[in-house]
Amino acid sequence: MIVTPGWYMALAAVLFSIGGAGVLVRRNALVMFMSIELMLNSVNLTFVAAGTGLGLIEGQVAALFVIVVAAAEVTIGLAILVAVFRGRATANVDELSSLGG
Amino acid sequence: MNNAALLPIAPEVILLAGALIVILLLVLLDRPYREGGIVAMAALAAAAVASVLQWQALGDGADNLYFSAQGVPVPRLPMVVMDHYSAFAGVVIFVVSMLGLAVAWRLVLTLGARSAEFLTLVLLAVAGLHMMTASANMIMLFIGLETASIALYVLAGFTRERANADEAAVKYFLLGSLASVVFVYGAALLFAATGSTAFYGAGSMREFLAENIVAEPAILLLAMGLVIVGMSFKVTAAPFHQWAPDVYQGAPSGIVGLMAAGVKIAGFAALGRILFSALPSQIDDWAPALAIIAGASMIIGTVLAAVQDDVKRILAYSGVAHAGYILMAFVAGNEGIGSMWFYVTTYALTVIGVFAVVAVVSGSRSGSSPLAEWSGLSSRAPVLAWVMLIMLLALAGIPFTTGFVAKVTVFTAATDAGYLWLMILALVTTIVGLYVYFRLAAVMFLEGPAGVEEVVVPPTTALVLAVAAVTTVLLGLLPWPLLDLAREALPL
Repeated sequence: MIVTPGWYMALAAVLFSIGGAGVLVRRNALVMFMSIELMLNSVNLTFVAAGTGLGLIEGQVAALFVIVVAAAEVTIGLAILVAVFRGRATANVDELSSLGG
Repeated sequence: MNNAALLPIAPEVILLAGALIVILLLVLLDRPYREGGIVAMAALAAAAVASVLQWQALGDGADNLYFSAQGVPVPRLPMVVMDHYSAFAGVVIFVVSMLGLAVAWRLVLTLGARSAEFLTLVLLAVAGLHMMTASANMIMLFIGLETASIALYVLAGFTRERANADEAAVKYFLLGSLASVVFVYGAALLFAATGSTAFYGAGSMREFLAENIVAEPAILLLAMGLVIVGMSFKVTAAPFHQWAPDVYQGAPSGIVGLMAAGVKIAGFAALGRILFSALPSQIDDWAPALAIIAGASMIIGTVLAAVQDDVKRILAYSGVAHAGYILMAFVAGNEGIGSMWFYVTTYALTVIGVFAVVAVVSGSRSGSSPLAEWSGLSSRAPVLAWVMLIMLLALAGIPFTTGFVAKVTVFTAATDAGYLWLMILALVTTIVGLYVYFRLAAVMFLEGPAGVEEVVVPPTTALVLAVAAVTTVLLGLLPWPLLDLAREALPL
């Protein structure tokens, strides 16, 4: 069996779904954030696989840009989560519920 | 072809330079908080001027596409587009940001040494917002979106010593990055389906879709759906609005106006750029989807706004309803762009004014703004209450305000496009919405005063309120100059 780029895109779709389920199901902010990172990496896989399948360099270039953006997001995201954890000693999003009406 | 010209990216360059100067000032001078604010203001003003110059250069026949791949006769893979659409977006975003920063002025001065970070983040966010509207490529648009979003996550939790602010930041961050991921997965699938990330030029999405039959229509549909969902998060359209009330309530009041107005302008402009420029051939697929999102936003936003007890939450849900009205313009395709611009512009000016009043009544650092704080505002601060009333009338869509003209234009656009049910639904929610705004007005004018303390309006906020109130009434009476400009602001 030849593994075509389509298989990689299918794998990416599965990873994206697992990440999406993780965001919806898990209540720990760090794990939710990890799930979002998983989704971002499935996007990278899609870009690279599609670029390879189409014979275009744009896919890999786009993946590089997404990686850089993800790194920036990690920096800010962890900083925000650490700030919350310091103030409340919890990373459970269900306990972050003082806002609402 | 002057491929490396500076004018198309001049606003971004000016804003980034301004951001660097603000940080340097902190090192060079002693307590340069006011000076930093002035530099940031000047950078925003210069960026607005650059956008006006772009508009003029386009009239003189300047090129539209820049930073394309070299060495090919036809521009391929352009990164930045300069057209009337991006220039108009620039002027609106930068002017609204100046007003927003003026509202935050008092907050900036009280932040001390952290004011430089604050101003830098504001400038970076605004640069990202404009980049979203001026990108000719999905990846460029994504980078602009993330530049703006990441800066705004931090701004939402900036007064971190207050417990609610960090909660707002976490919620905004988790849901915002989820939206970004959904959006960029849509971009990746669009690339897979069309073989391009570019909106314009040889081999772009638009040319591919115009000339070819897509091999995998399901993937294209899924991709468009993901892109629309991702953007709907950013512009707080239902059912992707849940973060907005919490974030607006938790974030410092001084900056919420800029967050609410700026992201809405750029989000709608970016959505329009993708749909009108890259996917115009697929309008039969995306217009019904947007009509449904618009209808859901109007109903959910109006109903939930009516049952809130916090003014910032009322305004957040009202923003959801208004996102629905603005999306009505999109279903008309190219004919709706002028209505979209007029609505977005006037709504942004009104929202900046409304949140300026919130920042005065509840304090620019504070989070929540319970209705009790507003009771009897008319006897404590009559002028403030009347200005707020004007803006509430505009949000409700009463004649002789911009809200009325804006609603009429989008209703007409949707009806002409054959979405009569959407127009009727919008009429009903508008009438229900009257209750939302008159309820707040009744609290301000009919109930006894909540306290005896004097309401102090800082001079910068007073200026913003004057601008917002005057434009709301003046453009409501004489909308034609802005309408003509808005109808000219078409994407390439």
